[in-house]
Amino acid sequence: MRDELKTALDKVTADEALQQSTRAFLARQTGNYGAAKARPHTARRFAAAFACCALVAAGGTGYWAYFSPTCAISIDINPSVELSVNRFDKVIAVEGIGADGDALAETLDVRFLDYADALDSLLENPTVEDYLAEDEVLSIAVTGENAAQADAILTQAQTCTAGTKNVYCHAANAEEVEQAHEAGLSFGKYQAFLQLQALDPSVTPEDVQGLTMREIRDRIAALSGETPSTGHGAGQGNGAGAGQGQGNGQGAGAGNGQGSGAGNGQGRGSGNGAGQGYGAGSGGGQGKKSGQ
Amino acid sequence: MRSEQEANRAIERYADTVRRICMIHLKNHADTEDIFQNVFLKYVLSTTMFESEEHEKAWFIRVTINACRDLLRSFFRSRTVSLDTLLDQPAEMTENDRTVLDAVLALPPKYRDVVYLHYYEGYTAPQIGEILKKNVNTIYTLLTRAKQALRETLGGDDDA
Repeated sequence: MRDELKTALDKVTADEALQQSTRAFLARQTGNYGAAKARPHTARRFAAAFACCALVAAGGTGYWAYFSPTCAISIDINPSVELSVNRFDKVIAVEGIGADGDALAETLDVRFLDYADALDSLLENPTVEDYLAEDEVLSIAVTGENAAQADAILTQAQTCTAGTKNVYCHAANAEEVEQAHEAGLSFGKYQAFLQLQALDPSVTPEDVQGLTMREIRDRIAALSGETPSTGHGAGQGNGAGAGQGQGNGQGAGAGNGQGSGAGNGQGRGSGNGAGQGYGAGSGGGQGKKSGQ
Repeated sequence: MRSEQEANRAIERYADTVRRICMIHLKNHADTEDIFQNVFLKYVLSTTMFESEEHEKAWFIRVTINACRDLLRSFFRSRTVSLDTLLDQPAEMTENDRTVLDAVLALPPKYRDVVYLHYYEGYTAPQIGEILKKNVNTIYTLLTRAKQALRETLGGDDDA
């Protein structure tokens, strides 16, 4: 049976036509064994890969542009918060400094708002309003690499707070802000701390951390012999002690008093809207209150 | 992908083998052509490195048997039956050859493979098990039954 089967099957062969059609089919399917198709394929694959890369890069750049802060707004009452603002004037991060700062930051829902809206909502925040009502001082410091944007923000901050008293707005530079953070203070507080430290070198940042802006300003005032101003604005009055120590500053009703007097006392005072100036006399004179 | 030279060499060397397997499974020329195209295209696109000619041949046998099975199993095939049985048998076949082939074709498909592999290609049961991915004992059983069936149809002695 083996031989019979072998004989029979040996006669079954693939005819030339079948082999020929198979060869033709293979050439067709493989694009002449890669010669014809290989190139377009490679080019298309490269194009696709390139498109993917470009897409990822564009996405990455957009993400980077949106999420890298260009300016920071540092806000201090006692709780301190910092708003990071990107190049599109949107607030991208709210960071509290210290425990009560964190608490305040959590109640603020200003992420992805325009910074102007964010400042408005900050000033309307119940916590902030309470502090302001207690006569605390609010300091807004703007820092940024982009000077034009920082200026715009500062102007906006001043406009926003124009109707609110006890608010100071100022610009700052990035280095100072960095130093402030190293000291564990927000920028506004750090500036106050520097002032205080100039008067009392033994003061450390830790001492200042727990104090409100008002308390720091009070201490500065006490050390520099000033009576704390209760006013708003930064006026500079000059009182001069008379021989008897009767200085007299003239805080003009709304303003910055320019005191004048005879004698050789030196006085510094802060005048303001509410009109509290101060003079301190020296040299045989006694500085006394002046201005009103 | 393999080169044209490799493809032509493979066709030259294995076309007859593939054709025989098609013959014992398929009934018409169009299907055979399909299988030829599938099997050789698979070869051209395959990255398998063959250790020897035997290895390569076994690969062709296995791929062809599987391709035939897939074709027969397909939905379309199961609903359409071709009637041109053994249409293109070579003219020079004798009466005896036809009888033998008809007897083999009358067997159930799973017997045909082992009969072909054992009697024609001369593989041993373990080798057939390897090619068909089946247990050796299963192959022995299939072989025994196939022999028995062929003996009944063709009569006479077997041989090995």
